[in-house]
Amino acid sequence: MLISACTQQNSSAQLHRDIVFAIAQAPLNLDPRYATDAASERVNRLIYQSLVDFDAQSKPVASLASWLAVSPTEYRFKLNKIRMPFHNQAPLNASDVKATYDSLATLKDSPHTAEFANIKNIEVIDNDIVVFHLKQADRHFPAKLIIGILPADLIAKNQDFSHQPMGSGALKFISWQNKLSLQRLKDCQKISLLEVKDPTVRVLKLLHGEVDLLQGELPPELVKYLQTKPEIIVKTSVGANFSYLGLNMQDPVLQNLKVRQAIAHAIDRNAIIAKVMVSSTRVASAILPPEHYTNHSSTNHSSTNHANLPVYDYNPTLAKQLLIEAGVKQPLKLVYKTSTDAQRVRFATIMQAQMQPAGIDLEIRSLDWGTFFEDVKQGNFQLYGLTWVGIKTPEIYVKAFGSKSVPPNGFNRGRYTDAELDALLANENWPAATTRIHNQLPYIPLWYEGQFAAMHKQIKHYLPKSDGNWDDLATITKP
Amino acid sequence: MIKRFAGFCAVVFGVLLLTFLLIHLVPGDPVEVMLGDAVTVADRAQLRAELGLNQPLIQQFGTYLTKLAHGDLGRSIHTKTPIVELIKTRYPTTLKLAFLSLFIGLSIGIPLGIYAALKAGKWQDLIVTIVSVRLSAMPAFWLGPMLMLIFAVWLGWLPVSGMESNASIVLPALTLGLGLSAILTRMTRTSLLEVLNDDYIRTARAKGLTEANVIIRHALRAALLPIITIVGLQMGSLLAGTVITETIFSWDGIGRLLVESIEKRDYPVTQACVLVVALSYVLVNLLTDILYRLVDPRVKFAS
Repeated sequence: MLISACTQQNSSAQLHRDIVFAIAQAPLNLDPRYATDAASERVNRLIYQSLVDFDAQSKPVASLASWLAVSPTEYRFKLNKIRMPFHNQAPLNASDVKATYDSLATLKDSPHTAEFANIKNIEVIDNDIVVFHLKQADRHFPAKLIIGILPADLIAKNQDFSHQPMGSGALKFISWQNKLSLQRLKDCQKISLLEVKDPTVRVLKLLHGEVDLLQGELPPELVKYLQTKPEIIVKTSVGANFSYLGLNMQDPVLQNLKVRQAIAHAIDRNAIIAKVMVSSTRVASAILPPEHYTNHSSTNHSSTNHANLPVYDYNPTLAKQLLIEAGVKQPLKLVYKTSTDAQRVRFATIMQAQMQPAGIDLEIRSLDWGTFFEDVKQGNFQLYGLTWVGIKTPEIYVKAFGSKSVPPNGFNRGRYTDAELDALLANENWPAATTRIHNQLPYIPLWYEGQFAAMHKQIKHYLPKSDGNWDDLATITKP
Repeated sequence: MIKRFAGFCAVVFGVLLLTFLLIHLVPGDPVEVMLGDAVTVADRAQLRAELGLNQPLIQQFGTYLTKLAHGDLGRSIHTKTPIVELIKTRYPTTLKLAFLSLFIGLSIGIPLGIYAALKAGKWQDLIVTIVSVRLSAMPAFWLGPMLMLIFAVWLGWLPVSGMESNASIVLPALTLGLGLSAILTRMTRTSLLEVLNDDYIRTARAKGLTEANVIIRHALRAALLPIITIVGLQMGSLLAGTVITETIFSWDGIGRLLVESIEKRDYPVTQACVLVVALSYVLVNLLTDILYRLVDPRVKFAS
């Protein structure tokens, strides 16, 4: 009914109201079974519905369906009684859920397939109920069911969802040529996502009125410039994406804890945040931010709270002392690998200067993304800088630091092995594991970069979210 | 002519071989980009086999050449789109931008160069020199946003970037064309000054020809060879896609496609883009040689 209502609207009136959102990187793939890049995942959240979503504390909550853990290897999902049909008006049923996850298991070139290898079979009870049978017990299984549901009949026809997506989310796909055009079902509002790679050009287009909204990925000086413009409003929120320095724990020098502590004390995070980042940026202590549910006393293991983790303050004298205690010859020469992104190179240069008085001589190697990431995965580095984006589940600690999670079995790129931590992770004692990681420093925590969105004054009902998602495109208005 | 064609084939083959080897030498491959780092070795190997990436390099190159001989450029590894389609959409936009930029460059550069040569040593020459040196020293990533600020944000005459309207091409073409015009101004001025004092120019003047006639029909024609060389070289790089300008102006040309394919290690797309670029270079070279002959009949193809 909503779609037919849209078609009856005057198309020229809609064009006039088109909301244009400038993004730095266009989505790469609109098929949720393949998408891994941030832009695709953010758009797919709007085009498709998934069984499960996360609340503000990153706890998995019912979205399209509520669930019951019948046993550790059996999960029963019941679809909401009232639910949106697919955008082609076909109803969304339990068979579509089964078809989506069954098809995922057969894809050979999807990065998500491995995550669902634990599914033994999927049983459709009726139109509303579907049961997942697992090979092995997995307490966190529901949190994995965040893949958008596709229509079974189109999966059978091998529809190219990457270019012709068909979902049941708040926004419907219209076209994708120079820009990605979407339409909101509830009021027919058209929303266009336009890729503009250059940050200065994004700002100029916003000022010229060619775009209505942009979010993140601007150097702080441009954000400050936009804040001085009367016609523009800049909204900020705290971020949850964790930036860090990764260390190679196989490196003979970096194996020494005192050296790692020296590096941690040789970075002035507060100065970097104050000078070259947006104001809502927070100093970080762990991958999962303080508001994450694992950091609150409601968990089984409340021995430690995230807020109690000490911050490694900037203290070059102490850092120098630690290096002397470690018996390292000064200046300590370290190679830091980063991408060619201008802001990343800027961070590296600042850290290089900050580390100098601490007796650390940092050599910066700025590499193209493919080469950089390959080096990181192969363990071919001493230090590297990256950001974890959109992390919700505490299992990240297992994947990033578990001794069995060395690539290709996980993301333990620094090849960190720690029996004590493995035991804590096996017991899912997340607070203690967080503390252990914070003390042992396989990562040097940096910050959670603040989120911001800049828009024309008349744009309403849009706020940036802590993980940078674009969910408010479902509510944004332009008079 | 046959020899020339053989040379043409050798150049293209050399480019293909070199590109093939280089992109396979760079760390990272499409499988890594597609699957991320949490996929088992077996799954990785399986996908690599399906894409034919597990075969020896020489065999992969042979397969590629065989397909190419049948006019099959393959499909993008990531988007599965036929590469011919990608080239068909991207190359015309690069061509359009290249020709308009060249037109702007020629229509500003040559008259200004002639003017500077005629006023050599005077204040007008100095001003032209200052302006052209400034323009040639301005990188596209600075000049582009400056033009946007002036013509789009302040004056509101043109769109900032994109390809939505016909006017969108003006600013990227100006960015490229102004840089080109600066080089052409310098080159025209220098070449003209070299010939303006020659005997045949004095003779032409002595015959009572008008100054315009002397400059355009006699002096400029003699001074054209180095200008054509520069235009040929510049046109080659314009057709190769000007990555920075295309990126700044969100202009979907071949340069952006090439860089994106390298980032994603999309081997077939990179190969196809390099092939198109190499062919463009060779063709522009050929056209430059033909132009040489037209301008100066003494120039002959090496036989």
